[in-house]
Amino acid sequence: MQTVDELIPQLKELIIKQLNLEGVTPEAFDADMPLFGEGLGLDSIDAIELIVLLDRNYGIKLADPKEGKKVFQSVRTMAEFIQLNVKK
Amino acid sequence: MSRRVFVTGYGIITSIGTGAQKNYESLINKQCGYGAIELLDTVHQQDIPACEIKLHDHQLSELADVPANAGYTRTALLGAIALREAIAMAKLSLDELKQSALLSATTTGGIRELEKYYYQLQDPSQQGDFRVFSDSANPGEHTERLAELFGVKGYIGTISTACSSSANTIMMGTDLIKSGMLNTAICGGAEALSKFTINGFNTLMILDKEQCRPFDKTRTGLNLGEGAAYLVLESEESVEASGKKIIAEVKGYGNTNDAFHQTASSPDGGGAYQAMLKALTMGKITSSQIDYVNAHGTATENNDLSEGLAMQKLFEDKVPYFSSTKPYTGHTLAAAGAIEAVFCMLAMQHDLIYPSINFKNQMDELTITPQQELIKNVKLNYVLSNSFGFGGNASSLLFSSVKK
Amino acid sequence: MKLSRYYINGVGIVSPQRTFDNAEFLNEITHYHENVLHCVLPEFKDYINPIQLRRLSRMLRVGLSAAVICVRDSGERAPDGIITGTGYGFLHETAKFLEEIYQYNEKQLTPTYFMQSTYNALAGLVALTLKCKGYNNTHVNKGFAFETSMHDAMMHLATNISQNFLVGAFDETDKAQYTIHSQAGYYKTESIDSVELFKHKTIGSLQGEGAAFFSISGTRGENVWCEVADLKMIFCPESGDALRVHVTEFLSANNITTNQVDVLVSGLSGDVKHDEILNMVIQEFNHATDVRFKHLSGEYCTASSFGCWVGASILKKQRIPDVLRFNQVIATSFKTVLIINQYMGRNYSLVLLKSV
Repeated sequence: MQTVDELIPQLKELIIKQLNLEGVTPEAFDADMPLFGEGLGLDSIDAIELIVLLDRNYGIKLADPKEGKKVFQSVRTMAEFIQLNVKK
Repeated sequence: MSRRVFVTGYGIITSIGTGAQKNYESLINKQCGYGAIELLDTVHQQDIPACEIKLHDHQLSELADVPANAGYTRTALLGAIALREAIAMAKLSLDELKQSALLSATTTGGIRELEKYYYQLQDPSQQGDFRVFSDSANPGEHTERLAELFGVKGYIGTISTACSSSANTIMMGTDLIKSGMLNTAICGGAEALSKFTINGFNTLMILDKEQCRPFDKTRTGLNLGEGAAYLVLESEESVEASGKKIIAEVKGYGNTNDAFHQTASSPDGGGAYQAMLKALTMGKITSSQIDYVNAHGTATENNDLSEGLAMQKLFEDKVPYFSSTKPYTGHTLAAAGAIEAVFCMLAMQHDLIYPSINFKNQMDELTITPQQELIKNVKLNYVLSNSFGFGGNASSLLFSSVKK
Repeated sequence: MKLSRYYINGVGIVSPQRTFDNAEFLNEITHYHENVLHCVLPEFKDYINPIQLRRLSRMLRVGLSAAVICVRDSGERAPDGIITGTGYGFLHETAKFLEEIYQYNEKQLTPTYFMQSTYNALAGLVALTLKCKGYNNTHVNKGFAFETSMHDAMMHLATNISQNFLVGAFDETDKAQYTIHSQAGYYKTESIDSVELFKHKTIGSLQGEGAAFFSISGTRGENVWCEVADLKMIFCPESGDALRVHVTEFLSANNITTNQVDVLVSGLSGDVKHDEILNMVIQEFNHATDVRFKHLSGEYCTASSFGCWVGASILKKQRIPDVLRFNQVIATSFKTVLIINQYMGRNYSLVLLKSV
């Protein structure tokens, strides 16, 4: 089981790839930076992409997309959620 | 030039029936096409319901009176069946057809066939009957095929603006006639179910795993459907010269873009409001004259809120009867505008208003409520039909009755 | 349609040649040797903000850039309507979504490819970017998609000449589609130098791509390129004679004879079979400079938009680069350009442009 600190850099790479964030490096965004609205400026379609990211890479299915709001607040909240819920 | 444009015929096929009469009977008897997917080969047969037409392609070929294995995609077959009925109802001669416009809308075209034979088509070592579908990736292909089948040569167009597509064909057909270029335009759309669309909508998380509930507080999304419908539009002079029976008049229309988001409508219903307002303005009537609105009403959280608010803003405290017929037919995407225009024709001819099936719980954000029961013996002078799609495309059609 | 006059007041085009800079006119020619012509790309950052850019597919970037170039060229006139035409739409995204459907067996799919595969995605994107809430439409009728978009705009402008519409057309190359269409005889089987296309009298053409936008209005703008006098679409003419009659009628409806056409821009595709009828008609125009363009653009459903850019450029700049010329007719000024395009020997279109 990976720790939150181990998950964070991995997640950043996955997010950059999945969302096609050209020109954005993992160093450029902070683990606690808001992903939506201000910060990285993601939108509702990106939220769906992140749900699929969780499923494809960690086997976690978000039953209710509205849960996404809490989970996807930042890379850290995502990492914490994964650590709690990942299927081995 | 401001020629009047009339509807002289229509044809339709949906999951609630082949032909206008069968569709009408289903509508008044609340018979819906909703159920499990059976014919389309998809892993979602168990978990995503839809309004599928329970006819195999070879059965559609017979109804369309075209040879099987001649490269007609399912979309084209549905189109051919609806076109035959429309042309017959309008009694169009071969000469008239030659000079007519055919404007057909689709979002899928032949994608159902492309997805089935995608890898085989790319493999030169594989030969077979499937090669007739070499060009099914093209959405305009079905219209050219139908134009050749029925001898239409005046103007051939295909429009694809997501869910507002066939409403836009009716607008363009009206424009072509008003401009004096043509006397007759056959306008509508055709759409077959496909894995591409089912999975596409599934990724957007806007499908309901049960029968959709338009304008209901608990709604969670839409059901997909398939079908085709066409209206025959003719100029005033053409109708006077032939003495043909007129069904209704295309009084006005509105086409706007929400310019809010690629797939969502603006929450305040701005685009929908402007489209309806434009239709009324063109038709030179006030909102209080509208007797019925056939809503887009897909039952997605976003559309119904947006459309509901738009109607409240437009009609203020005098909102007419409105309902969504999508629980009957599912959301037939590009064909929806034309299918629902045909339903408006039937409503005007039979003096009735359809119920918005499955509605139970009032939305908190709206003060208006859709019509829940079938109403008979109601004279409809002016009817609005809405179609709103991805890409911000918002279209509204205004029809007026010709009954005295 | 002839009750009004229509002007091209701005142009933006991205194509397999370096065409995105309106100050140039085919100064630099790119040759292709694998029968597929890809766009020469501009610096997207110059036209699209980075946050919007990262979400966009290649063709959406190309299309939006062309639209922005056009709007800037027209003097930043905000459009009253946006109409696009395409033959096959966004083939890459369609292919990617299909491939994912197979790869993941219809599970765990993402929405972006699906959304960006819709034919009206560009018209919607341009509307969103320019905040244009006016008329918006997308035509997908094969070799007529560009002309129908233009015609749609003209019908609206006829009722309100002060308005202006952005009319765009696009198509992209795609490997899967190339493979499928190759087997149906669409493309040359021998590898050739694209610029030498018309020396090879064989079956098949070259796969091309591009996006072109035109700002059209019923009133002249400061940077006006030319006038669009008229257009006509002909589906499957029965013969060369039948096409000839259509052309003669079209010209006479505009009070012009064949001798009065200065430049004939023809959409010959290099496919000896599909070019047959068009070649017969071209011979009627011995007083005109014979201009062709598909050796530079390749063939695609909306290639006639490249042809329209060629015609408009000739009228605005009053010169014809040698790479476009296919006969020895020399003229010092150009007033009337007739574009005759054919797509797959089925969709024939006539567009008449005049200098202003």
